[in-house]
Amino acid sequence: MNASPVVLGTVAAYLVVCLAVGLWPSKSQSSSVIGFVAGDRSLGLVLMYFITGATIFSAFTFLGMPGQAYKQGAASFYILSYGILGFVPFFFLGPRAARVGRVHGFVTQAEMIAHRFAAPRLAGVMALISTIAFVPYIALQMRGAGLILESVSGGSIPSWAGAAVVYAIVLAYIAKSGLMGVGWTNVLQGLLMLSMAWGLGLYLPIHMYGGVGAMFERIAEARPEMLVAPGLAKPVPGIPQEPWAWSEYTSAILVSTLGFSCWPHLFMKAFTARDDRTIRRSVVLYPTFLIFQIPILLMGFAGVLYEKAPADANQIVPFLLIEHGVPSLLIGLFCAGALAAAMGGDAIGHAAASIAVRDGLVRGLGVKLEGERERTWIRWTLVPVMLASYVVAVQWHQSLVWLLLFAYGPITQFMPAVVATLYSKRATAAGVLSGLVAGIAVTLTFDISSKLGTDLRPWPIHAGVFGLAANVACLVLVSWATRPADERRDEEFLRVASGKSG
Amino acid sequence: MTRQGGGGAKRTWAHACFAAYCATALVAVTWPVFPMLGNRLRPFVLGLPFSLAWLVGWVLATLVALVLYERFGHRE
Repeated sequence: MNASPVVLGTVAAYLVVCLAVGLWPSKSQSSSVIGFVAGDRSLGLVLMYFITGATIFSAFTFLGMPGQAYKQGAASFYILSYGILGFVPFFFLGPRAARVGRVHGFVTQAEMIAHRFAAPRLAGVMALISTIAFVPYIALQMRGAGLILESVSGGSIPSWAGAAVVYAIVLAYIAKSGLMGVGWTNVLQGLLMLSMAWGLGLYLPIHMYGGVGAMFERIAEARPEMLVAPGLAKPVPGIPQEPWAWSEYTSAILVSTLGFSCWPHLFMKAFTARDDRTIRRSVVLYPTFLIFQIPILLMGFAGVLYEKAPADANQIVPFLLIEHGVPSLLIGLFCAGALAAAMGGDAIGHAAASIAVRDGLVRGLGVKLEGERERTWIRWTLVPVMLASYVVAVQWHQSLVWLLLFAYGPITQFMPAVVATLYSKRATAAGVLSGLVAGIAVTLTFDISSKLGTDLRPWPIHAGVFGLAANVACLVLVSWATRPADERRDEEFLRVASGKSG
Repeated sequence: MTRQGGGGAKRTWAHACFAAYCATALVAVTWPVFPMLGNRLRPFVLGLPFSLAWLVGWVLATLVALVLYERFGHRE
């Protein structure tokens, strides 16, 4: 990419505004842990909308998703498809969690589950899994941010330095402003990403083919297999690209639909909302964010018939922008938008530090931290979390996919535990724990075996489906064979969750 | 609540409709119903191939379903 001062200046201006917006709100927030982690449970619809919406936008959205449309065609539709119902469980789980959260003072998912089953160790286990899952995720975002700055500067800012600068800014506003810092920067980032997605998503097809319809007509004639699901499988060097299997496509949608709401950083936003209605309305408005994935897909499809190809499929959009002589200001804004998406690691970093201290240290290990000391600990824990992610981003090159496999697999297995916590009178601590362990073990075994070349799965469907089946089976059977520790306490918990007055 | 009985029946109806909608939407975007009904190249809708337009349609339908369900399925 060219090192135009306009491009670089636009990106730098964006970073400065982002830092200012992120540092501003801490004045209005209390100095308690509830203030830092959950924004004093005061968030209205605008902040909730952008915070939850920002969770689907990441470095992947601006680079990976067009890359997938470009290389695998309609396989990328699965991302759109799981979003359709993916947030709906939160419509029911969110308000229930918020009610018990207000009564018992919860700000994380794991402490809610651990309290219900009087099993603090459970919080420790979930904290460990979440933190292990979050580090590679943040690392990927950092690497994305570094690559963007490296390309806008024409290589004069190496990616390790770019990643360090961007995430130093992120670290500053999270440490200073906690949840509110994340919230208000997400509003800014969201607005920029949405306008860039639509602007360039329409510009590229019109400029290159004369219109969106004309572009798809051309692709339909030359490569019709790209436009019907399930599209093509991931390309393997040296082998002709094969169609993706319907069983894989469908089961990937099912697992993601079920697991999406239980991502700890997303789920804990239930504790930040002002009231139940705000949570429900943020779910109602969620599909509007999916509409913004469409122009991003269009950008990827624009590259399908282009005669030249970028070195890496994920760079298809910046590649096309330069090839077509788009004005520098627009390229700068696109890069700022992509950078905004890559800064989506902020919510994860905030969640990771909060969970590590509150669930891991305080609940899991029983360390006593009073009031503001806990907040101080969370602030300082941000540093090792970000450093670990940075080291992974810079050092750990080829096998990041491996780390992500370990990350995504276990997290979807939280869903049965959350549902049991908020709905089931009969579930027991032993049941929930054995379900989690079985689900994670099964998912990882199948995932790792297929990565190693010996696929142990009985049918070619997403490993998470087998994991969820084992998880639910263990949860039900072990709960049935054991007794709840304190039935009256469970009844009281579920009464609060249901919102009925007793 | 003054009209508790009537409101309760209306809410039960809303819950049932929404559950039915969710099941329909999930089936409509996955195998085997998606390949049978929606996964076609033509006709193009607003410039999009029918397969993509079908999914966009379900995104919009879900938005409407959620608005209605929030309105009729819950009381504050």
